[in-house]
Amino acid sequence: MPAADSAIASPLAHVSRAALFASFLKMGLLGFGGVLPWARRVIVDERRWLGDREFAELIGLCQVLPGPNIVNFSVIIGARTHGPQGSLIALTGILFVPVGVMLLIAVFYASVAHEAVTRNAIAGASAAAAGLILGTAMRLLMHTRPPLRGLLAGGAAFVAVGVLQWPLLWVIPALIVVAVAAEWRASR
Amino acid sequence: MSADVQVLGEIAARFAALSLVAIGGINAILPEIHRVVVDVEGWMTSAEFADLFALAQLAPGPNAMVVALVGWKVAGVAGALVATIATCGPSSVACYIAWQWADRLRESKMRAVAQRALAPIAIGLILASGYTLARGADRSPGAFALTLIAAVALAWTRVNPVWVLLVAGVAGLAGLA
Repeated sequence: MPAADSAIASPLAHVSRAALFASFLKMGLLGFGGVLPWARRVIVDERRWLGDREFAELIGLCQVLPGPNIVNFSVIIGARTHGPQGSLIALTGILFVPVGVMLLIAVFYASVAHEAVTRNAIAGASAAAAGLILGTAMRLLMHTRPPLRGLLAGGAAFVAVGVLQWPLLWVIPALIVVAVAAEWRASR
Repeated sequence: MSADVQVLGEIAARFAALSLVAIGGINAILPEIHRVVVDVEGWMTSAEFADLFALAQLAPGPNAMVVALVGWKVAGVAGALVATIATCGPSSVACYIAWQWADRLRESKMRAVAQRALAPIAIGLILASGYTLARGADRSPGAFALTLIAAVALAWTRVNPVWVLLVAGVAGLAGLA
């Protein structure tokens, strides 16, 4: 029963539709170069709806499910507040409104795409965008401090998917089986 | 008109099929999307696809929005909407169902064990995404330095990520990337 209570006691149970929409809209509209850094900032630091470890675990779940991680994240957080309607509210804020904004930018960009100025600015910003994702991984690593078996599993995921570019469909299920088995043994 | 509807149907079918194999996120299916829209359908050149990807990175919102831009390039605003819903719809429904199932297991020890096991793998995959993006973006020592500075700034300071991107954009304007 205490484990079930943690769901009821979660701050997510008391989030209003307006707060849900506002938070996901903020993540969507401020999420330059990827929403993940902002998702952590808004959900963990500002709203305190999840702790760092809970956030990392939820992202972990979202990454093993098919589909864009941040879209899955929005579906689940939305569902935990207001069911299917909450999922749609979260997705509207984080995905559909930003898509509209992006199309306006795209129309403008199409008119200046050939300018050297535009290309240089994009080169700088996209280099930094990659760094922000790397920094997010570093931050999660420092906050969750996985044991050695976790570091090995995470390191294997990075090398297999990032460096060797092996197919995720093979790498991830295999890694999960090994990591869960190791974690199960350690928990006994 | 009927040609437009046909193209929209083509986008819907192609992208919806990819939705459920997008394990690990949009980066996992981008090479396949590239193959379909450039090589199979001939809707755009490889260079145009790369431009759209950079633009989606720069615009605020999920990286997955690149599929909306691809749809827009092919069939305008309707194409953007169809591409977004086709890519995210099936996986979202699957996610909702999986979450309900996972929620019933909340009390089980196995779920706690599985989640503890998954968190470090997730971090490894985020690292892999950043590494993949960096390999695409870092075509000069200056760009590499910008990536490094941005990573350090996000990991060890509380600086607003938007400022990091704006400063890097200005550095790019100055010819540093």
